[in-house]
Amino acid sequence: MLNISIFNIVCTILNLLILYWVFRKFLFGRVDAILERRREEVDDANKAADKAIEEARATKKEYEEKISLADEEKQQILADIKKQGYDEYDRIIADAQKKSQEIITEARHNAETEADRTREIYAAELKEMVIDAATKIAATKHSSAEDSNLYDKFIDEAVANKNG
Amino acid sequence: MKELLNELLMEDKTLIHVPFGNGFFDIYTSVVVTWIIMAVVIVLVLVLTSNLKVHNISRRQAALESAVIWLRGAVGSMLGEEAAAYTDYIVTVLVFIALSNMVGLFGFTPPTMDLNVTLALSIMSIVLVEAAGIITKGTKGWLKSFAQPMAAIAFMNVLELLIRPLSLCMRLFGNILGATVIMELAKSVVPVLFPAALSLYFDLFDGAIQAYVFCFLTSLYIKEAVE
Repeated sequence: MLNISIFNIVCTILNLLILYWVFRKFLFGRVDAILERRREEVDDANKAADKAIEEARATKKEYEEKISLADEEKQQILADIKKQGYDEYDRIIADAQKKSQEIITEARHNAETEADRTREIYAAELKEMVIDAATKIAATKHSSAEDSNLYDKFIDEAVANKNG
Repeated sequence: MKELLNELLMEDKTLIHVPFGNGFFDIYTSVVVTWIIMAVVIVLVLVLTSNLKVHNISRRQAALESAVIWLRGAVGSMLGEEAAAYTDYIVTVLVFIALSNMVGLFGFTPPTMDLNVTLALSIMSIVLVEAAGIITKGTKGWLKSFAQPMAAIAFMNVLELLIRPLSLCMRLFGNILGATVIMELAKSVVPVLFPAALSLYFDLFDGAIQAYVFCFLTSLYIKEAVE
């Protein structure tokens, strides 16, 4: 048991080296290859996931931009509509003012016409009265006092007529 | 007692006698048992590692993968990052010594009970340790490392080249021999049941512990050499 045999030591060393080679080549080599492949797949999957997230972010940004553009557009449309509304309002008001002005002018014109007519009637009446008085004076012989009375009477009549 | 020791220590270890070379080429039982262990391990490795898949792995593959990762993790943590390249060899030695120590369960004489085998293992270890030192530091740096931390103890450091493998070799050999002696004694005192319990301890537990100790010390030396 205690004797030493170089040959057997060498044999054992060779055995160890062979075992080491087998372990390295088959056990570790094969298992490592599988682990490595799995790691690569996981890495690939991670990369793909990262890429997908990146794409999703880009798309989201794009949509957000689109939405903000739509917002602007909406504001623009609203502003346009408001402007149109104000324009319409202004137009209507202007129309109304114009019309009322016309009505007022017409009314004034009508009133003037009426006043003219009334004045003409008065004038005609006055003329008739003057003719009447003149006729009355011419028909009778009078004293100057009577004439004065007649004139007074005529004037009173005219005043009463006018007031009445 | 004395006969028992005589029987264990002085028995003829030669299993295959080679007719030439005056006994130099005689092959010992330990080497033959090593071959048997190797054959079993190699077949096992080939069977276990055949048809490995990336997805939908079988339980066999899952067990194999976790065993490999676990063994490497355990040995790798002993070696440290700088010496991680030597992990595979240490794992191989660990498995080999553990199996050699446990082969007594199947009625074989453990190869590690032969001084030649433990000597071979420790020679490999010290060669690896020094090679690791030379590879990492270069021949000059390796030679200088003998004068560390001071030149006065260079002699001790050189002596360690001999002491380290000797202690590794003798520790393993002595433990396994001692275990076998105690087992034999126990068998002659209480032949039933008791030896079975002892065998559980000595063959399995102590076998694993000794394999671990051997690898732990070798790892420690390598780690020290590459620092």
